[in-house]
Amino acid sequence: MKLIVLSFILLINLGFASAQEFQIDASYTYLYSKQWDKAIQTYNVSRPWLTEKQPLLIHGFNGSLSYIFNSVEAVNHGINLSYTFVRSSAASDNIENNLYLHFLTVGYLLHYQRNEKLRGIYTDLIVSAKLSGLYRTINGEPFVYSETYSNAFGIGGDIRLKLGYYIPLKNTMYLSPFISSACTPYLYSPNSEAVINQTKGLTSNPWTALLTNQIGLTFHLK
Amino acid sequence: MNRRDFLKQTSALTIGGILFPSALFTACRKENFFEDVTYDGKVIIIGAGAAGLYAAYILKSKGIDFQILEASSTYGGRLGKLTGFANFPIDTGAQWLHGENSVLGDLIKSSKTKITRDDSETKFWFNNKLIDALPQNTNIFEGEELPDISYEAYALQNGLGNEYKYIIENIAGDQGAAASHLSVYGNNKDEENWSAGDDDFKFEETFFDLIDKEIASQVKDQILINTIITKIDYSQSEIKLTDSNNNTFNANKVIITVPISILKSGDIQFIPALPIEKTTAFSKIGMDAGMKVFLKFSNKFFDQNIIGGSVCAAYADDRIGKAQNDNILLAFIMGNQAEYLTSLGSDVAITAALLQELDLMYNGQATASFIASHVENWTTNPFVKGAYSYSTVGMGDARKTASQALSEKLYFAGEAMNTNGHHQTVHGAVETGYREVMNILTDIKK
Repeated sequence: MKLIVLSFILLINLGFASAQEFQIDASYTYLYSKQWDKAIQTYNVSRPWLTEKQPLLIHGFNGSLSYIFNSVEAVNHGINLSYTFVRSSAASDNIENNLYLHFLTVGYLLHYQRNEKLRGIYTDLIVSAKLSGLYRTINGEPFVYSETYSNAFGIGGDIRLKLGYYIPLKNTMYLSPFISSACTPYLYSPNSEAVINQTKGLTSNPWTALLTNQIGLTFHLK
Repeated sequence: MNRRDFLKQTSALTIGGILFPSALFTACRKENFFEDVTYDGKVIIIGAGAAGLYAAYILKSKGIDFQILEASSTYGGRLGKLTGFANFPIDTGAQWLHGENSVLGDLIKSSKTKITRDDSETKFWFNNKLIDALPQNTNIFEGEELPDISYEAYALQNGLGNEYKYIIENIAGDQGAAASHLSVYGNNKDEENWSAGDDDFKFEETFFDLIDKEIASQVKDQILINTIITKIDYSQSEIKLTDSNNNTFNANKVIITVPISILKSGDIQFIPALPIEKTTAFSKIGMDAGMKVFLKFSNKFFDQNIIGGSVCAAYADDRIGKAQNDNILLAFIMGNQAEYLTSLGSDVAITAALLQELDLMYNGQATASFIASHVENWTTNPFVKGAYSYSTVGMGDARKTASQALSEKLYFAGEAMNTNGHHQTVHGAVETGYREVMNILTDIKK
């Protein structure tokens, strides 16, 4: 915890100290994954006795940190760290099933803004490595699909386009509403079906493609 | 901001803020894979085992017309229940739930069915003595780059000589196979796909009761028993099935759930004949002899598990997980041992051979306290002809080929058609049942 606080203070100081920019995002996330949707729908169809069907993994939230090395040019670059959480929960008779999906991305960011005064529209293009962890509990107990594993890990690549609009607050602080869309063409997660539908290779591939849309607010510190 | 900039930014914001997300959200429109499918055709299911019953259950839930044709006089397939022999109900067929992380595990939780983890202890019959642990490690059949040879040959290669013969028979027997037939490579590949969990469970009632109460009860009225299908003509758009009494049945789609032994033996004639790849795949899937013998004694002289007998490689205390405690010992006999005992020709002779072996292990206590036996020989059952499927040497992807649907008319289910490592199990059979219904729904939707 101390390390996180110190890092945060350091980043803020860096923001004040130079023409660099520090961004914090918070957003609603809409997830689309055809493979995982199919696996969840298979789970639902194959268990007619469920009184409440398992919702698809759709709605979640995202938190993201970006550091832009130089914010005075029209095109700048930086780094981005992003975390997304999506949950699906269903409580049928005697069986409560929860799916928890975590994404962590670490990426390189290209930032385009209209001018150095940080007004108007800006665009971020972020290319990231993506890690995922899909986890399940049944009646509060972790679902363990093999001797040791209860998490289905995944790895892939992600490209994200973000569009925001600067609203000055005071001095070096800005707020921007934004929308963004990320495409993950390939996320290798061979055990995701084992977690979602308690089997392997029945209906899904060991990989999935993802689309992630976000709408939220960014706090900028220049 | 001048007028031009204002217009530029407003235009950009309109495009970016409305059209861009609209297009993306449209692209992300959720597809409904199975919910919005309607079908006026009829589906016939051949076989009222776990796969057939579950397929019927899903079809019913989707409102699709179906009928189950069962060759024997009852439903359940390789699940069965014996009452009156002991003061607790006995599973004459499948009795262990192998892992609870499966569709059946969910059903058990949902229905509050009572199961108990089988943590019973094991003794080994080794060099004519009952011992707690074997001198050599026999856990050699898992790992990387294992050869595609039999368990028997691989055990010998690894220094497990003749004294381990029946220990190895037991390990292979767990897979329903003779050690000389089961592939080390193939079985290890199957194990790698396993995702149901590592514990075994027993039912306070029976496995049959779970399937009966929770699944069969939903579709019982659509089962036609004593209907032995001998011919399937799928040459026309409507499939015509003929039974041994020359009755005919018409369907648009057929789910075949009979044991692999029935498909291999050619008991069902297909018109046109099945493709050669299909029949070759059937022939590569192994299924050996199997029987269960329940021995009732007045005294509990036996251990919870006895492994390594030359007549029966695996005995198990059948009271584990039961509410009552009659002294029932299960002789779980697979492969060559089941073939040998079957060749003795009578239940009396089979029982005598087992008692003789137990007397040797327990100084004559078996015969002295013997009350009765019940022999359930799945090998001589004409609609089963063995235990369950296993991976033979050189089998390759035979299960995948065997399980593929034909002409969007014939669909193949049953434990042997499970391609994801869950064959040999009831939940594996159930998975193929719903898999084939989903394949039908997918084909209908095309």
